[in-house]
Amino acid sequence: MHDMPKIFVGGIPIDLSAVLMLLISSIVVFGLVMLSVRNLSVENPSKLQNFMEWVVEFVEGLISSAMDLKKGKPYISLGLTLILFIFVSNLLGLPFSVVTEVTEGPVSVFGHVIEATRNMVPGDHVELLWYKSPTADINVTAGLAIIVFVLMNYLGIKLNGKHYFKHYIEPFPIFLPLNIIENLSKPVALAIRLFANIFAGEVLITVILKLGVASIPFLAIWQGFSIFVAALQAFIFTILTMVYIAQMTIHEEEAH
Amino acid sequence: MEIVYTNIIFTIVAFGILYFLLSKYAFSKLFAVMETRRELVMQQMDEATKTREQAVAYVEEQKQALNSARKEAQTIIQQSQITSSQQVERILEQAKADASRVKDEAVRDIENEKKKAVEELRSEIGTVSVRIASKLLQKEVSVSGEQEQLVDQYLKEVGGQS
Repeated sequence: MHDMPKIFVGGIPIDLSAVLMLLISSIVVFGLVMLSVRNLSVENPSKLQNFMEWVVEFVEGLISSAMDLKKGKPYISLGLTLILFIFVSNLLGLPFSVVTEVTEGPVSVFGHVIEATRNMVPGDHVELLWYKSPTADINVTAGLAIIVFVLMNYLGIKLNGKHYFKHYIEPFPIFLPLNIIENLSKPVALAIRLFANIFAGEVLITVILKLGVASIPFLAIWQGFSIFVAALQAFIFTILTMVYIAQMTIHEEEAH
Repeated sequence: MEIVYTNIIFTIVAFGILYFLLSKYAFSKLFAVMETRRELVMQQMDEATKTREQAVAYVEEQKQALNSARKEAQTIIQQSQITSSQQVERILEQAKADASRVKDEAVRDIENEKKKAVEELRSEIGTVSVRIASKLLQKEVSVSGEQEQLVDQYLKEVGGQS
């Protein structure tokens, strides 16, 4: 199994591959968007601008399926960032991954020892996974899910007020623990769904590669499917975020 | 799978920065442009609607103008028909009047000629009768001047009558 290149800086653990991949993902998304808005034109939009406008309209449609678009206008930026970031993140690990093989430890980076290579005895074999999909790391998907969780509860309290708290004891006060679990299950489901899909995809690519030359047709099929899964997961994550925000912020009369 | 809490924090920070940068530098501009395009399209559609309405109104106007022109032509034709028939009647009447006048004149001329002829005839008859009478009476009249005077008187009377 691959290990993460983790170092301790002043007692704080830092996963170098996660930092690297988050950086690459963010830069790719930022570069893509900045490139598409470089020469904005009303009359004669460029191809990239057209694409970005299509994405905006897609996210608008996605939000309007969850809530009234007038109320959902502030979330368009959030939805756009989410869908682009997750989609790019999912795709990054598809074409290749970078693994370094270490047989002699310990190995240091920036003057800090990589934890997996500490205490290595001769004959030990460590593979460090540097380049992968950032979303194939449960910590990253958990981070995204926590953002959504905090945001939806904050918006619920801010925009829905007492109905937000009243919701926890409905239909009966005895349902309080159930409602709390329901609320907590949302980010957990978000994080695990995204992580498991992408991680499984990458694991399967690694497994297929073990077939050697015979892996090419399988790999082609699985890569294609993985692109579909990447888009699908980005879509699911974004639309679930919007649905959760809508559930929390919009007080429905007929439910009471 | 290993849980590394710093990764969670890094993710949140990275996503937050990305969201902030994109909202500030990219999406606001993009949304503005899309809004402008939407307005432009709406405006063009409005304009198209207005132009179409104008065209319809113009066509209507043209139709009305055509109709009124047709009506005017109709009245002109009718009027000219009336005028021409009136003229025909007038000319006919005038012709009739002329004809009757000419006839009257002719009748009068004939009358005059007749009178003249009768007068001439009468005076000739007078002269002839006087001549006959003078030839019959010549011998007696030439003897006495008294009778000659009487004949002259008669003749005068006859001449004055004619």
